[in-house]
Amino acid sequence: MQDLLFATLAIYVLGMISAIVLRRAAGRAAVAVFAALGSSMGAAAGVSVLVSGREVPLAPALSALHPQVQLQADPLGAVFLVLIGLVAVPAALYGFGYSKSYEGRYSLAALGVVLNALLLFLTLTVTATSPILFLFAWEGMTLAGFAAVLTEHDRQPTIRAATWYVAISHVGFLALVVMFLVLSGGDLSASFADIRTNAESLSPVALGAAFLLALAGFGAKAGIVPLHVWLPMAHPVAPSHISALLSGVVVKVAIYGFMRISLDLAGAGPAWWGGVALGIGAVSAIGGVLYALMQQDLKRLLAFSTVENVGIMLIAAGAAIVFRSYGLDELAILSIVACLYHALAHGVFKALLFLGAGSVLHATGSRDMEMFGGLSKRMPWTSAFFLLGAVAAAALPPLSGFASEWMVFQALLGGARIADPEGGAVMSVAAGALALAGGLAAACFVRAFGITFLGLPRSEESEVAHESPRSMRAGMGLLALGCIALGLLPSVIVPLLARAATGVEGRGAAVPSMQLGLALATPSGLSSFSPFALATMLLVAAAAIGLSIRMLQGPFRTRLSVTWGCGRFGQTSRMQYTATAFAEPLRRVFASVYRPLEDVSVDYHPDSKYFVYRITYASDLRQSFAAYFYHPLLLAVRIVAMRVRRLQSGSVHAYLLYVSLTVLLVLLVARVWH
Amino acid sequence: MASLFSKIFRTGLVTEPFSPVDADVERVLEAISARTRNLLGRALAIREVDAGSCNGCEIEISGITGPTYDASQFGIHFVASPRHADMLLVTGPVTRNMELPLRKTYEATPDPKLVVAVGDCARTCGVFAGSYAIVGSVDTVIPVDVFVDGCPPTPTAILTGILAALDRR
Ligand code: SF4
Repeated sequence: MQDLLFATLAIYVLGMISAIVLRRAAGRAAVAVFAALGSSMGAAAGVSVLVSGREVPLAPALSALHPQVQLQADPLGAVFLVLIGLVAVPAALYGFGYSKSYEGRYSLAALGVVLNALLLFLTLTVTATSPILFLFAWEGMTLAGFAAVLTEHDRQPTIRAATWYVAISHVGFLALVVMFLVLSGGDLSASFADIRTNAESLSPVALGAAFLLALAGFGAKAGIVPLHVWLPMAHPVAPSHISALLSGVVVKVAIYGFMRISLDLAGAGPAWWGGVALGIGAVSAIGGVLYALMQQDLKRLLAFSTVENVGIMLIAAGAAIVFRSYGLDELAILSIVACLYHALAHGVFKALLFLGAGSVLHATGSRDMEMFGGLSKRMPWTSAFFLLGAVAAAALPPLSGFASEWMVFQALLGGARIADPEGGAVMSVAAGALALAGGLAAACFVRAFGITFLGLPRSEESEVAHESPRSMRAGMGLLALGCIALGLLPSVIVPLLARAATGVEGRGAAVPSMQLGLALATPSGLSSFSPFALATMLLVAAAAIGLSIRMLQGPFRTRLSVTWGCGRFGQTSRMQYTATAFAEPLRRVFASVYRPLEDVSVDYHPDSKYFVYRITYASDLRQSFAAYFYHPLLLAVRIVAMRVRRLQSGSVHAYLLYVSLTVLLVLLVARVWH
Repeated sequence: MASLFSKIFRTGLVTEPFSPVDADVERVLEAISARTRNLLGRALAIREVDAGSCNGCEIEISGITGPTYDASQFGIHFVASPRHADMLLVTGPVTRNMELPLRKTYEATPDPKLVVAVGDCARTCGVFAGSYAIVGSVDTVIPVDVFVDGCPPTPTAILTGILAALDRR
């Protein structure tokens, strides 16, 4: 048991080596097998920690190497070990078939190394027990992600995306280093346990600063607004099974870090911490889904939806902080459980959707939804899996998204118990924001599925699209099962997550009475629901509707014929709803957010404007964050850099002067200091 | 809004008493009503198709729904899509441009797919016979159950034709 994690790490290393040594199919197979094996062993370790409810020191063999390398899985980290396994096994399986199309075009060895390295660093991040180890693993994860994004390195958008990603990640990294320095009192090699005790003696101002730094540092990786700009650029350009890992797991590990600091290491924070997290979460949730609605690029749409879901997780985590500061421990635990459950649920369904989008990309060579259509006939398996993922993402019962968002809602509605009117008001506004985001997400996924898979094909590539090979379908199938299981079994999973939550709490709070059995009841008795009853009712209702249609049909026969199109002569795919047109009403409603740019130009016959030669229509959304936040920032950086460049005169004399002046300054400072 | 609703509430349904132009009409309408209830268990849904008429026939058809004949009282209503229709009322000679749409409309109509061809043109192409723009009478394009003669036929004649078509099923 203890060495399960050591085996996991060793297997990842074997996976990296085999990627370099073996070629072609053997290489792809070895990479997939090692990645799947390693992550499933990691998940097994996680499950055993959650079931036993005890913290387990892991990989003692590694600590023998160096005493500083202490790995440990406590229940909170274990949840994320499980998440890594849930997503990485199907993604690795899928990657076996998917990476075949990369053969000869890009380096398969690099892809295999990156996949296993990413998993290795993810595992280290969630089991690290000291800041220095955590930061090392964190940076490794960032760089592995950077290499993954750069897989298709000869394309301009890829390079741009990777640059943004690595820049914002490192700003975040800097924030994390400073945050750990503040919390640990300057000693990065202190253990998390020492930090916990040290934090108790820190002033509220220092703790508040550490909290804000953690929010910024982890938020940069999780993709919270306004630090999200890189995410919709970087996640789509990575190979699809890596996109699934980036969106399904890597952003969750940032949530792990945020929870580790704000709920565990920094101690019980004041209510304003939670308020800030709630506010940013609400803005991210609504902003993410609003932009997801407008995307034409299927994978970019999914990436924006990740921003939305990170927002939801942040809302839940913020609510936990608020409840704890008011002493409502049961609700705090419910919020933490909701956050963790949403992390699992989103990890699984978003990975499924990314793999589905990858299959479409594999079949058509395009990510542009305006090129798709009619794929449900040509790719029945992929479309069924994508539909399942979309239903889960739209938070419809009885799938995983519904179960998790239901819990988030229950927690927020529990805000009525807060004595302060401000606290209750914040909670109800957050619940409203969550409801709005949920409704928009449903619209977004109706559009994503409908435009992509239904109707007539809009391009030749979609016309001749083919179903994915078996390994890719198997990967999607596993994740689809995961969506169903997470939707039907919250009453089994929640008590395990509650262990993680009480581990985080660690302040003697009793395990909340999340009732077992078929129904799931919130601890405070606010409400309950039974996913099984719900699923049965839905099935029965569907059967009843089908039967009654049969019976009401009367004595007449059923006949298949073409879609009624007002008797037009030609009925082509150009007459269908386009992705842009489908989103147009919402674009008008939210015009003040999108501030769309539209340009219509008409070419007339020179003699009469009744004869139109050509109409061109172009439209784009103003990227408000880029325009009002990043462009000025980049401009300022550039101006400063130009000034600084004057120092670089190229003259040796000047440099000698700088050196001696610096030495003088340092000596003076040292003199004054002591 | 409130005043609108209160007016609807206060006024209730207002219809003129039915005053048929001739004695036959009432008998025909009642018969249609009874027959559709028997055959379909609900009102009769009709889709009108102008296959190239001079619109004289359409004037008479719209008379059917007017206050004098008031066919909707008797469970006859005109619908916007052949998907919702039990019966097609086709007028005029079939022009070249309407041949395919007429075929498609027939194809899109669910059973019992009754077709009543209204007006002399529908049977003989009338004054348009021999024109280069004409394909032929309605029955050269789709199967017709009943022809209604007249240029244009009276609403009573059209209703009699509708009844005849219903009686064939
Ligand atoms: S039958 Fe007479 S009224 Fe009807 S379309 Fe022909 S010409 Fe016009």
